[in-house]
Amino acid sequence: MSARRIPTGGLIDRSRTVPFTFDGKAYTGFAGDTLAAALLANGITLIGRSFKYHRPRGVFTAGVDEPNALVTVFKDGVREPNIPATQIELYEGLVAESQNRFPSLDYDISALNQLAGPLFGAGFYYKTFMGPVVGPLKGTRFWMFCEHFIRRAAGLGRAGYDKDPARYERMNAFCDVLVVGAGPAGLMAAEAAAKAGKRVILAEQEPRAGGAANWSGETIGGKPAALWAEAAAERLAAMDNVRLLTRTAVWGYYDGNNLAALERVGDHLAAAPKGAPRHRHWSIRAEKVVLATGSFERPIVFPGNDRPGVMLAGAAERYANQFGVLPGEKIAIFTNNDGAYRAAAALKKAGGAVVAILDVRPEISAAARALAEEAGVVPLLGHAVAGTAGKRLAKVLIQRFDAATGRLSGDVRPVEADCLAVSGGWSPAIHLASQAGRNPAWDDRLNAFLPPQPTQEWTGAGAFTGAMSTAEALSSGRDAGLIAAGKKASRAKLPEVAAPPLEAGPAPVFEIKAEGKAFVDLQNDVTADDVRLAHREGFVSVEHLKRYTTLGMATDQGKTSNVPGLAIMAGARGLAIPEVGTTRFRPPFSPVSIGSLAAEKHGHFKPDRLTPMHDWHVERGARMMEVGLWHRPMVYGEAGETVEQTYIREAATVRASVGIVDVSTLGKIAVKGPDAAEFLDRVYTNMFSTLAVGKARYGLMLREDGIALDDGTTWRLGEHDFLMTTTTANAGKVMQHLEYYLDVVWPDLKVHLASVTDQWAGAAVAGPNARKVLEACVTETAVDNEALPFMGIVHGGIAGAPVMICRLSFSGELAYEVYCGAGHGTHVWEALMEAGEAFGITPYGMEALGTLRIEKGHVTGAEIDGRTTARDLYLDWMLSKKKPFIGSALMDREGLIDTNRIRLVGVVSLDGRPLGGGAHIVEKGSLEELGESIGHITAFCYSPALSKYIGLALVKGGKARHGTRAFVSDALRKRFGPVEIVSHHFFDPEGSRMHG
Amino acid sequence: MVERVSPLGEAFRPGTYGNLAEGPGVTLTEATPAAIAEASAFPGSTEPLLAAIETVTGLSLPATPGAGAVGDGAAVFAIGPGRYLVSGAEGLSASLQAAVALDIGTVTDLSHGRAALRIAGPRAEWVLAKLFALDFSPAAFPVGEGRATAHHDVFAHIQRTGGDQFDIYVFRSFARAFWQELCAAAEETGYEVG
Amino acid sequence: MLIPCPHCGPRDVSEFSYQGDATRTRPDPASTDMKAWHDYVYNRPNPAGPHREYWQHAGGCRVHLLLTRDTLTHEVQAVAFARAGLNEGAGKP
Repeated sequence: MSARRIPTGGLIDRSRTVPFTFDGKAYTGFAGDTLAAALLANGITLIGRSFKYHRPRGVFTAGVDEPNALVTVFKDGVREPNIPATQIELYEGLVAESQNRFPSLDYDISALNQLAGPLFGAGFYYKTFMGPVVGPLKGTRFWMFCEHFIRRAAGLGRAGYDKDPARYERMNAFCDVLVVGAGPAGLMAAEAAAKAGKRVILAEQEPRAGGAANWSGETIGGKPAALWAEAAAERLAAMDNVRLLTRTAVWGYYDGNNLAALERVGDHLAAAPKGAPRHRHWSIRAEKVVLATGSFERPIVFPGNDRPGVMLAGAAERYANQFGVLPGEKIAIFTNNDGAYRAAAALKKAGGAVVAILDVRPEISAAARALAEEAGVVPLLGHAVAGTAGKRLAKVLIQRFDAATGRLSGDVRPVEADCLAVSGGWSPAIHLASQAGRNPAWDDRLNAFLPPQPTQEWTGAGAFTGAMSTAEALSSGRDAGLIAAGKKASRAKLPEVAAPPLEAGPAPVFEIKAEGKAFVDLQNDVTADDVRLAHREGFVSVEHLKRYTTLGMATDQGKTSNVPGLAIMAGARGLAIPEVGTTRFRPPFSPVSIGSLAAEKHGHFKPDRLTPMHDWHVERGARMMEVGLWHRPMVYGEAGETVEQTYIREAATVRASVGIVDVSTLGKIAVKGPDAAEFLDRVYTNMFSTLAVGKARYGLMLREDGIALDDGTTWRLGEHDFLMTTTTANAGKVMQHLEYYLDVVWPDLKVHLASVTDQWAGAAVAGPNARKVLEACVTETAVDNEALPFMGIVHGGIAGAPVMICRLSFSGELAYEVYCGAGHGTHVWEALMEAGEAFGITPYGMEALGTLRIEKGHVTGAEIDGRTTARDLYLDWMLSKKKPFIGSALMDREGLIDTNRIRLVGVVSLDGRPLGGGAHIVEKGSLEELGESIGHITAFCYSPALSKYIGLALVKGGKARHGTRAFVSDALRKRFGPVEIVSHHFFDPEGSRMHG
Repeated sequence: MVERVSPLGEAFRPGTYGNLAEGPGVTLTEATPAAIAEASAFPGSTEPLLAAIETVTGLSLPATPGAGAVGDGAAVFAIGPGRYLVSGAEGLSASLQAAVALDIGTVTDLSHGRAALRIAGPRAEWVLAKLFALDFSPAAFPVGEGRATAHHDVFAHIQRTGGDQFDIYVFRSFARAFWQELCAAAEETGYEVG
Repeated sequence: MLIPCPHCGPRDVSEFSYQGDATRTRPDPASTDMKAWHDYVYNRPNPAGPHREYWQHAGGCRVHLLLTRDTLTHEVQAVAFARAGLNEGAGKP
């Protein structure tokens, strides 16, 4: 056992030794240690290097407020940087490394940055990376070259590149009362609300409930406070209506009393149990919230206040009392308030030598005096720390100090010490309250901001409210719990608290001005002089101060630096602190893993949407592609075929004989009700009320502004029963569009919509032999030209399954869409394949489907792109003049009917090379001198029917350019070549094949 | 009659999975009924629609939001104002269609369009709370009632069909992906597929 | 932000789609008053304070709601089904 470990006491389990490594060296600690505690126990006080100046840094706090002791943890092959050692629970085999040092922690070359101090002052990024605005280096790349090195030198840990194998989850929780913080106040609040029958969640960021009770050394109800808290937590955990969440930091307070919390489920374990997440993101909806978040101790700013060995007094006390670790052997105390005296007594009791107590105040309370006596020293009143010395703290330089004037005087005397415990007073942890409240109020007694007036349903308890004693925590906690439960405050007796009667308010001393770097924000290396520099440069608002100097940024979010920073700015401006104001605390309160926010979507972002025939496609060897959420066959390649060869073969087979394609993804909407036909007349540009039952019609929808929205066929299955199809991509958008008009614009129409996309499997059978295929397998109906004319619908059966067949064509061939119940999809598909075998039927994928439609000049989402009008696409024949429809009022505006708009044309490659989607069309130019664009290609393919590379394009003037030449220009893909602009109806413009 | 094929395919693998330290916390199964239909009333016609549903299914329920009922071989619950998801035996849609007059409302057959995934067991509420922002506690979500919600892109209509049992109706095309997500969510508590 | 859907109860905003300003009215379909159409399609006030707007409970009951929402605080001051006929006799969850 090391000299720093106290033989008995604390909340660690000395029977369980835990091995770990730090910077490659093996150490041991005990179960219940944090990494910080274990390192201190092993005598390691130098833990990291600072952000800008690479100064040696040690452990400064014992909790979530840690600015300094950031390390990188290696687990499951992943490196995670910037984790405070105070937040890492020791587990067997823990591997941690210090960061931001080269070549080693002990000797760091970039510490020379300190010599370039002024360069790294306030706003250094803004000033430096602007580069010179005058002079020979102006506008040169030299500065960008320098930036690379400066950025590398400044910073914290490095993130890894490996995939994070951990699992993350979300949990949605609902409760009557959420209590944040399980210190004495929170425990009382939770128990009071739970006993009143409420559903309670009690969230505590630390591994154990109790808060300050775990290290205060006080007694509650005659028991050591830590044991009292443990018993209270056990009682709560046993109640059915209470969920006690430890290792759970509530980090965000959102509208609707919705709070976000991060539960670190597995970080403290060497290996997670099967299926358990590493982190769980809790989204908690609470009727009422009790904030019992306690308070943070803050430092006093003085030169050399960042040396390893300098830490907060409460942290030193906590290491001694909770972890059984002495943070130093010769301990000096520097304070402006009574609280540090309790720490002094505790450290002495733990076996440390308290070498000095320096107090800026001229007088102290009797209770403080008594504690000093316990610590075995006579406090030096009216004294302050003027500096420190040693790479690791070796000496504290002390001087007389007048708290009224803020001046040091007299001789500088060195005191040998390896630990300096500092207390500058306590600030309520109002972060969550600030997210759900108005402006915080300054309290002159505590010299701290108190919680604001709530704008949501919360009340506060304990130190959070500024009531710093444990007795007050118990009473205010119980009352807050009762009030949150809708009960009255209680006067019943509370457990007795034995604690010294200390005064909580500090003397208003925030900074000791003397020679040397005095850090306000240890994490960002922001000094007191940086704050004053920002002031001189005009960044006087606290919000500007934060952004200009980075004060209060990064992982600790300025928990220790907030008030000292404000105090120094207030001093520079000659104002009182509340007049300077404070920055608004925003979420998150403490760092949140991105993985937890992605939750079960971590690593994959969208669900796979599969058609009923999906497994058949995959078994057939189809190469699948993602189209939105859908997975669709791209090509059904055969051995040795390229994608192009495959789709050419598939498309050619369709034109020559017959092919089959899965069209189940088309959006399908049941439109039903007495007013269904009237509704369709209003939403489509063409008429549907005139459509006969048993027939389908191609329809076009516009947006209200006259731009095309979507197209598709709609089938009239009954007098008041239509089946609308939409493009695959727009199914959701069209549904929403229609629902809006029914709910908002035409509420009197009796029409219902239902999404039936998934109800039907769809197979399009296309090609000159398509009818023969159907004739070979369709029962209960004829499919000849008379029974099933173009755009006709019949009902029948295939292989025993009911089907609905509509004769319509996207390919330009004789074609049918065969619909059946999705659960019968593969059955019917296989029957169609079997029936087609005699005709050499081929399944075809998206590439061939696209090829066939390009040859026919049919538009899809590439052309109906949210900018084109019906006229642009030469679909103006579909614009009914007999009725108004959505878009009819605005579609004829001047700019929309201009014939020089980009309009649909066909393009043929004249150099025998493929075209490219998105490539520009130009009249002249080259790859070196790009010509002016007159349009762009929307779709392209090799056309087996024409034996050429062709494409569809939107080109200025459209039809007027038919027969002219232009160039395809694609600087990105280095493609430039001649094209001919032609009609988009490349193939069978008369449509004789599909009508045949 | 041709068998209706499950959308789950090989993703449905009977057995026990995940952390079985405390036994499987939930049982997952497919519970798609023979027939599913959506019955919707025009405004003001909810009562007669519910009467028609009762005639066909024998299940009666009040016209209140979220109301539902579970019976022998049939179930019904509200998925929107005046909109109900009805499940039952073969021929359900035709019977409902015949019972709902033109000016009362409409019936749409969804027997192939939706799949019902069932989760049952002591940890069912816990597992579902990972995926849906709903209060699954019995007080907030009593047996028989239904909820319409979504998990990211997947719409879900959920009915509590027992003390610790829920049927989740999802679009058929999403069923396999959602099933896999449900299984993944249940790994922590351990689960049995069967 | 929570939106209290009259059918589904309070739900997270992520279940809803914003469907636009509810203070405008669509001109008569046959109207050729271009100013009226422009106002309807394009012109929007941007009030700091209470605002009437449509939200569809797309990830729930699919119904469009008419909300009065304070754009400064996100407080939903009033909510009803956009389709007036649905508000009659509908019990609250």
